[in-house]
Amino acid sequence: MTALERVASARRTLGVGVVLRAVLWAGAAIAALLAIAGILDWLVGIPRTARALAIPAAVLLALAALVYTLWRGRRVRDLPAVALWLEERVPQLRYALVSALDAPGSSPTLEREVAAVRWSAVINRALGHALLPPLLVLIAAATLLFALPAGVRARISEPRAGDALRRAPIAAAEMRNRLTPLTAEIAPPAYTGEKRVIMEEPSSIEALTGGHIILRGQGSASGITATLAGAPVTAQARDSADQWRLDIVVPAKPAAVELHDRSFTRTLILAPHADSLPVVTLTPPSRDTVVRTPKGQLSLAASATDDYGLDAGWFEYIVSSGEGETFTFKSGVIHRTDAGNARATKLAGSLDLDSLQLKPGDLVHVRAVARDRNNVTGPGVGVSETRTLRIPRASEYDSVAIEGAPPPNVDSSQLSQRMLIILTEKLAARRAKLPRAQVIKESQAIGSDEARLRQHVGEIVFARLGAQQGTEDAGSNSAGSARMTPNQLLAAANAATQASAGATDFGGDETPVVAVNRPLLEAYNAMWDASRSLEVGEPGAALPPMRIALAAIQRARNAERLYLRGKSPVVIVDINKVRLAGKRDDVTSSARIARAPLDSSAEVRARRFDAALERLSANPSAAIDSLLALRVDALEAAPAFAAALAPAIDSLRAGHNATDALVRARRIAAGTTVERVESAWSAGW
Amino acid sequence: MVSRAPGIFTFATAQYDSGDWDSAPLVPPNIIDTIARYTEIEVTPTGAIVSLASPDLLRYPFVYLTGHLPVRFSDAERKQLREFLDRGGMLFVDDHNHDVDGVFHKTATEEITRTIGAPKELPNNHPLYSAFFKFSEGPPTTSHELNGWGDNLVHKNLFAVMREGRIAILYSSKDYSSEWGYHPDSKRFQSVDNTKFAVNIVVYALTA
Repeated sequence: MTALERVASARRTLGVGVVLRAVLWAGAAIAALLAIAGILDWLVGIPRTARALAIPAAVLLALAALVYTLWRGRRVRDLPAVALWLEERVPQLRYALVSALDAPGSSPTLEREVAAVRWSAVINRALGHALLPPLLVLIAAATLLFALPAGVRARISEPRAGDALRRAPIAAAEMRNRLTPLTAEIAPPAYTGEKRVIMEEPSSIEALTGGHIILRGQGSASGITATLAGAPVTAQARDSADQWRLDIVVPAKPAAVELHDRSFTRTLILAPHADSLPVVTLTPPSRDTVVRTPKGQLSLAASATDDYGLDAGWFEYIVSSGEGETFTFKSGVIHRTDAGNARATKLAGSLDLDSLQLKPGDLVHVRAVARDRNNVTGPGVGVSETRTLRIPRASEYDSVAIEGAPPPNVDSSQLSQRMLIILTEKLAARRAKLPRAQVIKESQAIGSDEARLRQHVGEIVFARLGAQQGTEDAGSNSAGSARMTPNQLLAAANAATQASAGATDFGGDETPVVAVNRPLLEAYNAMWDASRSLEVGEPGAALPPMRIALAAIQRARNAERLYLRGKSPVVIVDINKVRLAGKRDDVTSSARIARAPLDSSAEVRARRFDAALERLSANPSAAIDSLLALRVDALEAAPAFAAALAPAIDSLRAGHNATDALVRARRIAAGTTVERVESAWSAGW
Repeated sequence: MVSRAPGIFTFATAQYDSGDWDSAPLVPPNIIDTIARYTEIEVTPTGAIVSLASPDLLRYPFVYLTGHLPVRFSDAERKQLREFLDRGGMLFVDDHNHDVDGVFHKTATEEITRTIGAPKELPNNHPLYSAFFKFSEGPPTTSHELNGWGDNLVHKNLFAVMREGRIAILYSSKDYSSEWGYHPDSKRFQSVDNTKFAVNIVVYALTA
């Protein structure tokens, strides 16, 4: 074997040694870190979130050790470096090895000198020195890890909610506080299909009303008592694998659970939330309406949603008939649908109006209803808004409606006027490019339409004024012949209604007939002006009066849409005038005293909060309990304040500075702070 | 928000989303007039309208609710009304249809039951009937009952939902809303003031 081949062999051996050393150090790092974590968890307990990081951290540390060790042994790949390493440790070589490698095979003398030296002992010794320390560390750490009490390794390798109870207690049984550690398993009602959740060291538990909360702790159940909202909990603690457990049914209102173990106490807040009622939206019909001819099918559709699941949905109707003081009612349920525990469903159907045999004056009330699957505190029934369908009486057809109704059909007069304006604007824009004769022809065509529209408006006005319809002749379009001034028209209106001839005053004394017709009269006269301009081929000049006419028609439409309703006068009682004016002969002598004003709960909460703060320095534990109790009471009435109290209580319990949280809670208690979620973009504004 | 001076009673009418909550607009001024006419209770000259869903409901110790049409409380209305009653407020519900087969009665009692509990018959010797004037035979009969309209019944009793020994909701099928729905100046035309029972209701609500 030549010198080169022998050095290469040594390099392979040393390379394997470097890799082995790196692997051993990596394993030692994993075992050591897990052992340290296990010891800490056994002695003082580590939060689950920290335990969950133990294995990833150990793997990272092992990788670091592996890389670092390989990096330190990187020179083993270099053949000259290995030769020098051997020369340093084997002086008999006297640089013959290095020289032989410089010119391999060139000097038989050097080859013989190298062949005469053995270095395997040196390599074995070096391997031993390199591998022994990590091996010892690995063995020690692994021994320590496997020597830890049962459950510790599982808590490190598979940290799970609730495994705090697996931690073997250190203190003697009679010295231990069995209320710590504590876990709470939240079991929602079966109908929700929700999973169970386990909380460790809970201080406030949010759960669905009617569900179960199972509290578990270490040790015997003997001597552990509990009260819920001041009353003893009926469920008894019982032993289970050296653990006690307590079943509590989640109440409807926030409450405090007081746990007692000899002199130890622990307070938990139960913050229940109720199963929401289904939310039902009825579409269509989307609004109340009036139906003159109650025949055919009324389409019904609704959507329903629920937070946990719907059981069924249906439509309900009530028909009220009668007038005056005599009414009869009949009701029914139609289109019942099984929702199959879906969280959202659609309801659809129709109401046969023929089968209801509706008569004028009848009212039909329709609503959609949905029921959830709550079989614990429910079922919850949600209803949509009620829509009303009214059948008008014959006498109401031409009267001013007094019921809410959808907007009437689009007024064709308005559309026509707007259409004529558009046509005129187009003609005015093209006027410069068209021959004059063409302009006049198109303008007169629009003018004819404008005249027809004016005739229609005039018929409406004259009909209202009581004159014969068709008073104005549409064909007679010559200016000045049929055109009336506003004063003349108003005078005609008053004459037609037998009003006084002097009622043409536009101020405040005009008659109702004049007031109602004023917008249409304005439109009528503006149309005259527009027609005249269009007749002579001046579309540009016709546009202003056309727009005035459109605005006037719009005002008339708005006026027509007013549904007048009988309104009682506002009565202001003259207290001083009537004070004790009545005869009090039959007054009893009962001794009733004035009640205190309704309790201002906000003030009470603020006072209780201040009292708790005052106790904070002298008796922190009592102050925390007071804040807990305050939070219980505030959960329903003042949720923002209750939410602000939570971080303050947690900080106080953890021994941290709670000043900021308390100040914030105090501001909310005083009612000077509004909780608002700001986005990152809006926070600076 | 309606402002009111502390210590002065304001007659509040409940406004709810469904139905016709404002069907008896003359009842509040008439009762205000009656309270001033017979008692020394400080009362504002006009009533207030308060939404059942509004926190302002808690500003009034006594609230009046009536109507003809179906009553369907929204979740917000139900929640606010429950808090109002929890804090000691009193709600007076009167069936303007005076018809136990009517839609108001059916829906209103259903909503009351869902909100706080079913109304029970109030005995005619309850302190309500002697809170100010003495009504030894229970609630006074209204002319509408005697005229045979509505359900053709003369209701002998009112109904109530009790809270801690007090009336939380007083329910009437007697249609006092029609009986008292006239301008207070018209009292002078009556030989007997038929609004005296309103004094008892208000006095009961304000006293212990």
